[in-house]
Amino acid sequence: MQENKEKCMELAKRIYNLDEEVYSCVGSSLGRSFTGNKESTIQNLCSLMLAKPGGHLLRSELALISNMARTIKDKTKRAQMMAEYDSILKEIESLPDTFGKVDIMDLSRAELNPTARKKLSENDHLVICISRTQGSAGNDIGFELADDLHINYYDVEIFNQVLTRLEAEKGSVNDTETEHFEDFDKYRKRNFNLKKWFREFNRYHGLPRQDAVFFNMSDLICSLAKTEDCVIMGRCADAILTNNHIPHLSLFISAPFSLRVQRIMASKNMDLRHASRFLKQMDRQHKKYYDFYSYGRWGHPENYDLCINSANYGIRETIDLIERLINRQKIQNH
Amino acid sequence: MKKKVLLASILLGVLILCPMGVFAAETTQTASVPIWLCIPFAGLLLCIAIMPLVKGEWWENHQPHAVIFWILTMVIPFAIYYGAGQTVETVLECTVNDYLTFIILLFGLFCVSGNITMEGDFAGSPRINVGLLAFGTILASCIGTTGASMLMVRPVLKMNSWRKRKAHIMVFFIFLVSNMGGILTPIGDPPLLMGFMRGVPFFWSLRLFPVLLFNMVILLFIFYHVDKRMYRRDIAEGRKPDISRPGTRFSIDGLHNLIFLVMIVGAVILSGVLPGMAAFQDSAGNVLGIHIFGDVVLSFPSLIEIIIILAAAFLSFKTTSKDIRTRNHFTWGAIREVAVLFIGIFITMQPALMLLQQIGPNLGLNQPYQLFWATGALSSFLDNTPTYLVFLTTAGTLGFTSGIATSLGTVPVHLLSAISCGAVFMGANTYIGNAPNFMVKSISDENGVNMPSFFGYMLWSVGILVPVFLLDTLIFFL
Repeated sequence: MQENKEKCMELAKRIYNLDEEVYSCVGSSLGRSFTGNKESTIQNLCSLMLAKPGGHLLRSELALISNMARTIKDKTKRAQMMAEYDSILKEIESLPDTFGKVDIMDLSRAELNPTARKKLSENDHLVICISRTQGSAGNDIGFELADDLHINYYDVEIFNQVLTRLEAEKGSVNDTETEHFEDFDKYRKRNFNLKKWFREFNRYHGLPRQDAVFFNMSDLICSLAKTEDCVIMGRCADAILTNNHIPHLSLFISAPFSLRVQRIMASKNMDLRHASRFLKQMDRQHKKYYDFYSYGRWGHPENYDLCINSANYGIRETIDLIERLINRQKIQNH
Repeated sequence: MKKKVLLASILLGVLILCPMGVFAAETTQTASVPIWLCIPFAGLLLCIAIMPLVKGEWWENHQPHAVIFWILTMVIPFAIYYGAGQTVETVLECTVNDYLTFIILLFGLFCVSGNITMEGDFAGSPRINVGLLAFGTILASCIGTTGASMLMVRPVLKMNSWRKRKAHIMVFFIFLVSNMGGILTPIGDPPLLMGFMRGVPFFWSLRLFPVLLFNMVILLFIFYHVDKRMYRRDIAEGRKPDISRPGTRFSIDGLHNLIFLVMIVGAVILSGVLPGMAAFQDSAGNVLGIHIFGDVVLSFPSLIEIIIILAAAFLSFKTTSKDIRTRNHFTWGAIREVAVLFIGIFITMQPALMLLQQIGPNLGLNQPYQLFWATGALSSFLDNTPTYLVFLTTAGTLGFTSGIATSLGTVPVHLLSAISCGAVFMGANTYIGNAPNFMVKSISDENGVNMPSFFGYMLWSVGILVPVFLLDTLIFFL
């Protein structure tokens, strides 16, 4: 199994390098076949080969490279690229159709899981991504967990401050607008201001502001996760880190609606009707944000390493539960 | 796979042959063009549709051979049936008068637009793409569908290079920029230029703006939502554009080539205007030109058009740095493919066109919706210019006294609108319906876009365009 994976990984690297070389030989600026970052693309190609070697998806991806390679003007280079392409194709065709025993494990995802059997390297950091429903005490749990583990805690407000500071350092921001989570609604009508529209259009490369902020936030999250241990609240961090092949632990914390309402009534001094409406609205916005940027997976158990009903444990015991999960891994590691 | 291909072949065969079979059945008394002469045309279309799927590499290397084969399977029986003289005349007529001007126009626009490159870091997103498509659609009426397609295709590809899912963008690009956008002026699409040469006023087509606007709004609405879905999936997979640089940089290199583009557009207009001038006509009113064979004459206006276009292409190459073409990934592949395939299409479709010319006026079509669909259905597979002319002639002979006075008779506005829209819009139904369609596909294929196959594309057109055309029928042509 491991041998096959290594072979696929090596083939994936060769495919990526071939694409890079073909694009460089062509000299085009219209975009290469694989435009994602190197690591992700190689991982995706490898998964594609492991999932179904010789499948039509992989073939289509490879055909794009050959289409471009055939347009190389230098005959020697073209022949060289096509020879490498043919050799890769042959090796892919020789891969067996199935590998090892049938397991439920998603190899690419399991590798990113600090609690999975495959151990993390010394360079990997402990990153805990917490998604939560409003009122389930997710923020309190995340904050106290970070405090217990002596690691940094990031939520939307902190991210916005960091992003604004970074943008200001680049000299591109005069105003200190931030994209508040509560403002996220792609479909809501806003007052149109042409001057502001043009300014944002230029500033964000023609992208909607929310999307540009999301992309910047993604870079920030990846950079943090590569350099320090931390707890990250929401922001689709689990999906972003998965896409970028950065190890992390993803948790989803929720609680029964009635208990969440009670908690909101007590903590925000709201009546039942308002608390109930507030919760529904916030959950809807969480879902909308997460679904928009991760294509519809918020709250689905299959997308997380662990889903916890915080009402069954309380804040302290939930933290202990998570710590036990991490500690066990730590113990096994040593 | 084999079953799918077989089924698809049967479907296409039925689609192409059935209408003609029906027409032929209705006119058995008068039809003298045997329907079996259309088989090579259907065969070539099937090859274009199926061979890339089943024998992709073989097809790529042997396209010219396959085209020659189908031309011979049409020419030899044609020669036996009509005699060598008429065969040579027919082949020369379509090659010199239709294909030559067609491919040279395409060549000129391909060369000139390949020398203009856009540098910038706009990131392709649904709203940017909607803007580009809307701009391209309007531009198509100013510089022609081919010109707009060639000019816009690379910027669209470049802005969306960060994305994985972009085939749908090019499909809608073909719908709107390569086809529908050409409806507003005779420069937009060759059928309308032909109408202008027959007496339809130059700005008459502007009346069709509401139809274009209606279609644009619906298609762009659908596109926005499809693109948003694909955009979200790209983001969900972790793809993101490079927006690290503060502010957006944008520049166009080779901008002086716009002069050559205007030259080409001017040449096209001249080819429509000059034949009507006395200086280019003999005493009998025939357009003067170089006699080639039998009745085949390369007219002086066409010659002037060809010379201007070739001069524009030459000057464009001479005055533009090679670096721009390299950055544009300029290759001859796309134009070569179109040139090879379309010579086959132009020659092998002659029997089908002759059949259409023979039976068209006898079909009893006199309602706008009938003309819209008849012109459109045939324009999807045949050249839309002769199709337009056949039905314009049909409408002109219906004996109406009010409407647009053309050299073919008075054609009521609602019938002319239906014929124009059918010919221009429904070229988007297939890759071969209009030349820019194939060019856009070829350029996209070379630049990392996984374009749908012939039938895959038709699924898009049947699923999206046909319902829009049905709405057009209900609102504008009933």
